Amino acid sequence: MCNACGFPTRPGHWTDAGADNAGDRLRLQMRRAQILNRLLNGYGFKARPPGHGPGFALSSFSGRTTLLPDLEAVWQEAAQQLGHPIDPLDPRFTAAEPNS
Amino acid sequence: MIAPPEDGRLRLTILGGYLGSGKTTWLRHQLYEGGFGKAHILINEAAETPVDDTLLASQSAGVTMLSGGCACCTGKDDLVNALKALCDAHSRQKPEDRKTAQIVLETSGLADPAAILDAIQQDSVLVHHIRVAEIIVLVDAMNAADQLRTEHLGRAQIEAADRIILTKVDAVPDAVLATVVATVRHLNPVARIEAAVKGEPFALPDLPAVPPYDLPRISDGGEPIQPTKIDIPDDVDWATFSIWLSALIYARGDDLVRVKGVFDTPAGPLLLQAVRKSVQPPELLPPEAAQRQNQIVFIGRGYKGDDLRRSLDYFTRG
Repeated sequence: MCNACGFPTRPGHWTDAGADNAGDRLRLQMRRAQILNRLLNGYGFKARPPGHGPGFALSSFSGRTTLLPDLEAVWQEAAQQLGHPIDPLDPRFTAAEPNS
Repeated sequence: MIAPPEDGRLRLTILGGYLGSGKTTWLRHQLYEGGFGKAHILINEAAETPVDDTLLASQSAGVTMLSGGCACCTGKDDLVNALKALCDAHSRQKPEDRKTAQIVLETSGLADPAAILDAIQQDSVLVHHIRVAEIIVLVDAMNAADQLRTEHLGRAQIEAADRIILTKVDAVPDAVLATVVATVRHLNPVARIEAAVKGEPFALPDLPAVPPYDLPRISDGGEPIQPTKIDIPDDVDWATFSIWLSALIYARGDDLVRVKGVFDTPAGPLLLQAVRKSVQPPELLPPEAAQRQNQIVFIGRGYKGDDLRRSLDYFTRG
């Protein structure tokens, strides 16, 4: 892993493809945090870029904050705390009219 | 399919198929005809049966036998070590030899190709050195009906394939062959279906349109899979899509048998491919190669195709 920018997070994590310069990576990380929050709010989580590298800092309603290297780890941690995975095909996300 | 650019990784073809489906026969013939060039052959036998590999050896760059159990479960470490040794040898070759080098892995009849793919993805060395070029699965036309009715593994092998080759097709009447083809197509609507007799390519005759076999639900299998093609709207960017897809694969990976497509990202068009929970490192395609951009095919079970679209829409608009 590069000491200065922290990429790549882990060999071959597929979500880190698609941005091959530092600017794109930073933009992607910021934008992802925004979208993640839209989704995670309903579950009591909050995600933000950790500020010094790749991945996310995931805070839960209990105040616990975990540093996670990539999106897969975010879903894993959320599933562990909730007791079930966050399923994009849950009725709350597939209702014909978005309710938020 | 769009051919990804050469990236220096060693190409690996996985040859799978149920016990006795004719994998070795087919592979021998392909090697004899020069089908895989001077490929290195890895052969995995679940049982330690002696195999006559002299013909294979004479037609290939080398043969490695893995006989310590099935490579997708108990023999996984042996497979990973053998592949690492081949990568090591590959990196010492002359550049001109390196380009043509490739590996063909003949799996045991008990292997799930998806599990092997997963083993390669999970290994931090192999993921950078090996590119899985194709998963070829052989299906024995004579015994397919029984196998697919009772064996979850037979179905899983077909579901994971890029190319399916029906073997022993000369030994079954056209009516049976038509039903086998329909069943295989039902299980994997995107794979190319070919046929072979004793390894030789065999042109499939015009077959009547018949319904597939009625496949009963198997306790560890589930309902048959359905394909869903999604045209990604212009306002869905890579950040949104990668969040949505990673969540979907995490939550529904066991039901999503295949995800395949090209997505436009800031760095260029990315070729995305996943088999169950294992996503292959996306390949960056040259811009002109990506005509079918932003169209993703999902093959899986346990959900409605429209729900995928609605869910992606929710993630996009919030």
